Amino acid sequence: MTVHSLYIFDRRGKTLFTKNYSAAARQAPTNVDDEEEYLAEKRKLIFGMLFSLRELTGSLGPEGQLPAVYSVRTGAATLHNYETRSGLRFAMYTNNDIQQTTGKGDGKFTSVREALQHIYSEIWVEFVVRSPLYRPGELAASSQSQKGIGKFDIRSTNFEQKLDAYLSSMPWFDSK
Amino acid sequence: MMHLFIVNQSGGLIHHRPLGARAPRIGTNDWLRIGSTFHSLHAIAAEASPVKLPGNKNSYNSEDGIESIEANGIILKCLQTRTGVKFVITAEPGTPDIELALREIYVLYTDYALKNPFYELEMPIRCDLFVQSVDALIDRMERNSNAGGGGNLGLSVKK
Repeated sequence: MTVHSLYIFDRRGKTLFTKNYSAAARQAPTNVDDEEEYLAEKRKLIFGMLFSLRELTGSLGPEGQLPAVYSVRTGAATLHNYETRSGLRFAMYTNNDIQQTTGKGDGKFTSVREALQHIYSEIWVEFVVRSPLYRPGELAASSQSQKGIGKFDIRSTNFEQKLDAYLSSMPWFDSK
Repeated sequence: MMHLFIVNQSGGLIHHRPLGARAPRIGTNDWLRIGSTFHSLHAIAAEASPVKLPGNKNSYNSEDGIESIEANGIILKCLQTRTGVKFVITAEPGTPDIELALREIYVLYTDYALKNPFYELEMPIRCDLFVQSVDALIDRMERNSNAGGGGNLGLSVKK
């Protein structure tokens, strides 16, 4: 199973972190003038889609359930989503080989959803939120942004290394 | 299973129906909104994906889009035909054979709506025979699953 990319959004839709894993995801389309602009648009699309789908499933589902989108599957890929109470969204694109997303993994097999939850509680909270430099709301939007002074840059933490190490240890992780 | 709704090529809702007693009540205006929102999100999902199918056509040779959504307390499955008509079923998690039901309902749509000389394309479906046959199909599926076998439903399925 191939993991394509990972996105982390805050509750307002700003992208806090993004990373492409698979070769397919890294190939930017060549017929686009402004790549930066295109990528930003794509991220907004993903956030907007997750937001609207949450509203949609909320109105379709039984009363009294807190709406939460777990996964969205199209013919090309599957988007797995984990949303925290604070509105932080962890979204991961994989291909369609993954069997279970919502279920609890059986002992050895960690489902993608559990992995996203682990990434939040053990990696994001530990290495970003608890970083002495971190101030909520001041995260630099992407690693290419010019604003460095006064903003917290995620590269000052081990977040990315720890994230990569964790994902590589997953039996289903395979970035071809 | 909870609800069935059908969206036409332009995004307008042409049919909605509760499929079971446990289906939550949803007003007509809400249905119209749900139909058009789903229509746009269906296409956006294919657009936002990091990889796309060749020509954006899936295995049914129709435009790629949302096939399945899992959420808290509900799952949703969609079948889009080559003409852009979307059949969508919502159900409780763990419900079996939803894709089968979608394909069967598509067959019923061609038999009782499209072949009905008074039915206008893209208009809301007002064909009694269609509604009756959908109800009968769901009944058969419920009875078969209650009888403890998801096996042979005796339905004809053409891909």
